[in-house]
Amino acid sequence: MNSRERVLAMIEGRPVDRLPFMPITMMFAARQAGVKYRDYVRDYRVLVDAQLRVAEKFDIDHVSAISDPAREPADLGAALEWFEDQPPALVESQALLADKSRLTTLRPADPLGGGRMHDRVNAVALFKQRVGGEKLIEGWVEGPCAEAADLRGINTLMVDFFDDPGFVRDLFEFSVQMELGFARAQVEAGADIIGVGDAAASLVGPAIYDEFVWPYEQKLVDGLHALGTRVRLHICGKTRKLFGGMGRLGCEIVDLDYPAPIAEARATMGPGQVLLGNVEPVGVLKNGMPESIGAAIAACHRAAGPRYIVGAGCEVVRDTPDGNLRALRDYARSQPAA
Amino acid sequence: MADYSRLYDAILNGDAKTAIAVTKEAIAADADPLELVSKYMIPAMDETGKRFECEEYFVPELLLAARAMKGSLELIRPLLTARGAQPAGRVVIGTVKGDLHDIGKNLVSSMLEGGGFEVIDLGADVAPDKFVDAVKSHNANIVCLSALLTVTMPSMKNTVEALKIAGVREQVRVLIGGAPVTQQYADEIGADGYGENATVAVSLARKMVAANA
Repeated sequence: MNSRERVLAMIEGRPVDRLPFMPITMMFAARQAGVKYRDYVRDYRVLVDAQLRVAEKFDIDHVSAISDPAREPADLGAALEWFEDQPPALVESQALLADKSRLTTLRPADPLGGGRMHDRVNAVALFKQRVGGEKLIEGWVEGPCAEAADLRGINTLMVDFFDDPGFVRDLFEFSVQMELGFARAQVEAGADIIGVGDAAASLVGPAIYDEFVWPYEQKLVDGLHALGTRVRLHICGKTRKLFGGMGRLGCEIVDLDYPAPIAEARATMGPGQVLLGNVEPVGVLKNGMPESIGAAIAACHRAAGPRYIVGAGCEVVRDTPDGNLRALRDYARSQPAA
Repeated sequence: MADYSRLYDAILNGDAKTAIAVTKEAIAADADPLELVSKYMIPAMDETGKRFECEEYFVPELLLAARAMKGSLELIRPLLTARGAQPAGRVVIGTVKGDLHDIGKNLVSSMLEGGGFEVIDLGADVAPDKFVDAVKSHNANIVCLSALLTVTMPSMKNTVEALKIAGVREQVRVLIGGAPVTQQYADEIGADGYGENATVAVSLARKMVAANA
């Protein structure tokens, strides 16, 4: 059973030889490859080389085109600040939609237009050439709340929910349509699964999530399924109050951040949902010892039950010792799923 | 003084328009500005923080309450200044160099302001020498440092070092916070406290001011 077959078997409820292992590695992968993160996010060949290297070294079952949330905003013309060795950041004081009226004339960026989105599509295509059929190839898009926050400014979006709900819905609709176009290009390039990152969703409570965010997440997930792909949902932060909605989206994998109680996620989302995570990336995975990491991931597995994929709560941080990530890998290797 | 509990309700409900209207009404009636702050505004923000902590309120509700509080405070501040009223403490706050994430810092800033502190908010991507300059020029007694990225956390250490080199480290208590930040890291870099959320930060700041009183 190769890596791709293992993950697909887990998703489809078929027997697997061991637990799949799918941590998010971005700056960690760049560091492992000895490249600056600025180069990692700007040149798909650098990203692909680094991902393949880290997947090989740590026996990770997937490779991913995830890098930073600023690809779509950059192609729409948003202001970015670049750093040598960390992700580019959006400049909120110059948010693309600081003036809401711009939304009426904004058109989705072309994922094959030669910009940062195209660079990600190229990464997926190169993954397909290099490890297609062996590793699960993961594309990535932003969820509606995250993308809206990137375009409008996260502080402003949070009060827009109350000040101008119609605008928020229009912005979410725009975001979903653009992300579906981006996802289509990645699926056509060879992605086996699309990761959806909707970090900002954890900042709102269940009332706003259910009324505003969930319907557009559902539209995005349904659209991705209509493209024939699979979905890994990752919402950073505390999501406990959102578990009901997250479980109803029908994503193949729900990837939990560390503040999300995995036992409660299992209870709420039911026995069929594949859960992924969620060892604390800094206090446990980076700063801990292999023995304590093994104990922590075993506790996650016990709480999640058999439909489970090993991973950290969020991104494996850059300076995580090799031995610590190997402790997660060793646990996955040692555990035949039920 | 008349009962202005509508001000408390307006802040708690994030209704800036009503908060401002009630404040104007109170000022016109010559209400005691200190009492408006201590009896209505601070308790409203304290209750907002409690609701946030127990996940009854979330970031949007907290930002709305902060907006209402600030609208009211802007009207009251000149009256407080005229009376020579002293804030609970002077806080210099910012997201550290290299990091543009500011929503967590903004929440802490608002809760501190709502808790009666004078807040000098330096924004995001703030260099250590900017913190030093602000501490000196505002005679601050607390510095709050925020970071969302593990790769920008070293800027917290650099800022603490810069405060030492500038000779103002003993003048201030340093609080740090942000998603990847831990108490262990606070201890490592010689910070005086770690706040895991905005309400803890306010509580720590109050304790530190009380300890220095």
